[in-house]
This record gives sequence, C-alpha cells and structure tokens, in this order.
Amino acid sequence: MQPKIKIAGDRAILVEFEDRIDPKINAQVRSLAMVLEKARLAGVQEILPAYRTLMVIYDPLEVNYKSLAAKINDGLKEAQNFELPAGKFFRLPTVYGGEFGPDLARVAQITGLLPQDVIRIFSETKFYVYFIGFICGLAYLGGLPEVLRVPRLSTPRTLVPGGSVGLAGGQANAIATDQPSGFNYIGRTFVRLYDPHIFPPVPFAAGDRIQFIAVSAEEALRAQGKWATELL
Amino acid sequence: MKAFQVVNPGILTTIQDLGRWGYMKYGIPRSGAADKFSAQVANWLVGNSSQAALLEITLFRLELLALNNLEIAITGANLLPHLNGQPISMWENVHLKTGDRLVFKGRKSGLRAYLAVRGGFSGPEFLGSRSVFPRGLMGQPLQAGDILEMAEVKDEQKEKRYLPADLIPAYSHKDSLRVILGPQEDRFTPAGIKTFLSSAYRVSAQADRMGYRLEGPKIEHGRGADIISEPIVPGAIQVPGDGLPIILLWDAQVSGGYTKIASVISADLNYLAQVMPGDNLRFKEVDLAEAHEALKKEKALLQEIKKILRNP
Repeated sequence: MQPKIKIAGDRAILVEFEDRIDPKINAQVRSLAMVLEKARLAGVQEILPAYRTLMVIYDPLEVNYKSLAAKINDGLKEAQNFELPAGKFFRLPTVYGGEFGPDLARVAQITGLLPQDVIRIFSETKFYVYFIGFICGLAYLGGLPEVLRVPRLSTPRTLVPGGSVGLAGGQANAIATDQPSGFNYIGRTFVRLYDPHIFPPVPFAAGDRIQFIAVSAEEALRAQGKWATELL
Repeated sequence: MKAFQVVNPGILTTIQDLGRWGYMKYGIPRSGAADKFSAQVANWLVGNSSQAALLEITLFRLELLALNNLEIAITGANLLPHLNGQPISMWENVHLKTGDRLVFKGRKSGLRAYLAVRGGFSGPEFLGSRSVFPRGLMGQPLQAGDILEMAEVKDEQKEKRYLPADLIPAYSHKDSLRVILGPQEDRFTPAGIKTFLSSAYRVSAQADRMGYRLEGPKIEHGRGADIISEPIVPGAIQVPGDGLPIILLWDAQVSGGYTKIASVISADLNYLAQVMPGDNLRFKEVDLAEAHEALKKEKALLQEIKKILRNP
C-alpha cells in the first residue's frame, strides 16, 4: 500500500502507512522519521513517529504545505532503502504479585492460568517499543502473547504508582509516574523510567526491546532510582 | 530577588512561558501559556522578551503581596484586579511598592489572566522551559505561602506603556471557531459532519489546560470511534464513542486513539483559551489557505504591537 499524506490541522501533516500494528510497518515509520530528521527540513518543528503513522509539525509561515508534502514524499522513497540501527535491549528487574501487582489474581482468573504462569509468560516476553508518547514518555509496547489478552478494568483506578507494569486489551505498559489507569497491574519496577531533569527524559526509544525480569522485592528495590540505561 | 508572597493561590495559578518545543517525541506536551497573545503582550509591556516566565491566573481569588518595588502588567481575562483595594488598569505597565497587595476579585470576561513582572519570574526550568506541568513532574501550581522569585532588575521603565484600546481583544462576541476537517473525517457519516458544523456545543465543567469536553448533539460515527493510537496536537478535536467532542489544549497527551473530526486553526487557539465552562461554541469549516492567512495576520498584528511597545 502506498502511504497517504494527509492534512492534520493547519500545522501538521500526517503520513499514514498500512492500518495495523506490526513491527514491519512500524519499521517503515521509523525509517521515514530518521530520513526526515537527517534532512533538517526548513520550517519543520517536530517529527513524531507512532505505530503506523508519522506526524510532521511545521511552521506554516516558514514552509508551505505543498512543498513540505513533496519533500516528505521524496523522504518516503529514500526511506525504502534506509537501514535502521539496532535497538537497545533493556532487562528491568520487576517484582510481581502481592502489593506490587494487585491485579495478578484477576489476570490469572480471566486467562485460566496459574498466577506463576502469568508471571512466567509475561516476564519471558521481549516487548518491542513501537513509539514513545501519551504522557511522561510512555512506551507503547508490542508483543504481548495472545493468552494474556484481558480487558481493561471496568472502573479505572484513580491512582496507580509509577513503575507499575501491566496489561490490557492485548497491550502492555509500564507507567513512569503516578497516574489514573484502567490497565491490570501485575508487577512493579523501581528503575526510573522518566526524568524531566535530564535529556533525553526517557531511556527508551522506538525499536528498543524491554523484558520485565521476575525478581524478588529485595532485588527489585536494589535498582531503585537507577536510570534504565545504567542497567544495560 | 523576591517578587511576591502568595497569600491566596486562587483557583489555579501556574508559572508559564511559551512552552517546551521539540519534546513531543518523548511524550512531553508543549504546555506554555494557553493564550499566547496575552502572555506576550504582558511581557512586552514590562520590557521583557516574549519567552519570559509569567503567571497564568485562572479565575479569581489570587492574592499576592509585593516583596519589592516591582513593575508589572496584567493582560488576558478581566478578573477584576485590585491593588490595595482599588481597581487597577489592565494592558499597561503598573508600578508596585513593597507591601502592596494585589487581589483578583472576580470575573468580568475571559478565563485566564496573565501577570508579567519586569525581569521575569525565575521558577525551575525543565527541558528549556519554566512552564509548570504537574502531571509531568515539572513544577506545581502556586500554593499559599510560596515566595515567587524573579530575575534581578536594576532599572525601571519610567514611561507608560499600554496597548491601544482598539487592539485589546474582546472575549465575548466570537461567532465561531474556525476548523480544518480531518484527519479522520471519513470515519463519520455525512450527517455526523453536518451535526458537528451546524450545532452549538456547550463547554462542560470538565475543562482545563489539557482540554475541553463539550456537550451537545451527538456526532455520528460511520465505522467506529477508535483508531490505532497516533500523534495529536493542541487544537485537535477528538470524538470518542459517546459522540461528544473533546478539544485538546496545551497540556494534553501527545498521542491518542480516538477519531479526530477536525482541528481548531492556530489563529483561534488564543481565543479558545479564554472560553468558560457554560459558554457555547460553534465550528466553521475553512481551508488550509484561509487558516494560514489568519495565522499570518495574527503574526503581523503581534509584530505591530511589539513595535508600538518599543520592545528591543
């Protein structure tokens, strides 16, 4: 499918690739993002890759839509031959169940698995980082095994502690800061996942892989406050 | 140097500048003054740069005690500012003395006022900006007892600076917000698009710096309200499954999975920052050329004002 270039308001262009969540499609998005970053196009303020779309935010007083769309089109051709750099692989010590994973029993009940099997399957998964977004550098993770597909909580929690590791609707995430959420939280990591005092404020990038290694509470706490890249 | 002691923080008062740009790819919203017209004019009135940090005051009850002789300017919403019990003028520079009390007593028009101090406030800086964004662990709203610091200022401007009356924005007589349809307009039925463009929507009580939820006729989807999550910018209008639009603002999440019927054009975002819960909004479709023309006009107006205020 030929990617589509669309207007998204008066200062953004949206490039749409095939409409599904797939690492191959995401690789096309990331390739285009890197090609456009390198091109340093005049008037471009931000380049935002997502699952299957890429947004280019521009200053319409510096560059007009048509000429920028043409340059993005050129970028699409160049991106076809672009070789993406290998991502990083993060292994984050995570304590599962008990007070740190209040929804483990619920996930076990819905999936019909034993709690230790939920932990084993989840902690052995190497999640793929599709992109960083939402709020506070949330990594959108792919790769959750189908057997762990469970619905969101019918009533979202008003406050989930930062570092919570969870799943819902076929997706997984680890939230960086305390926030409301309807995900099922089965574990917690104490590694810092976000810090607005440093640059970049997020340790992960699209294309990285993350594994939430099952450890004891003592071992998980030993990593408390460490920046995730310190564990590489 | 100390500027003010916060006697009463009011409903919501935060330090803002023009925001942090270039970090959306890390999941960090732009934040910054919601009404960037009023914020910049306030700064220019006291001889600051456009980027200087100032106070964004939402509604009333903010009470400040001056801890030094200060030069300030108040712009934006008319929240009935009083100095030592007497009403004071907005849209001009005003000199305060140590011990003066500044109180915002009510609301006459608009939602957000801006208070700039000569020198600029000096709150903590995160990723190149002093804009407070509590959800991102970047500062907190003002609390009672806070001491607000500012940059050292030696001189003061003797001359009066003011914005000519015909350039002061009115916040009550706008016909409609201009929008560009898309990028998911094809996910709505023609009847749904017509509903959106022909109805009045009321701003609900759920209205803050992240966005405004609107109430009114439901907008009909053609095939589902959910999309694979993608980037969103301030001004985007999401329509989730309940058919009621949400306009996203400067502290909104940077990605989301609801269909977007349209985006408010950039030139109308400052006005949007001044609408109140309970106000009615209508939407009018324009094309890209018209949106960019409006933005050009707004920039020209700001440049003219900057010249009038003789800012370096």
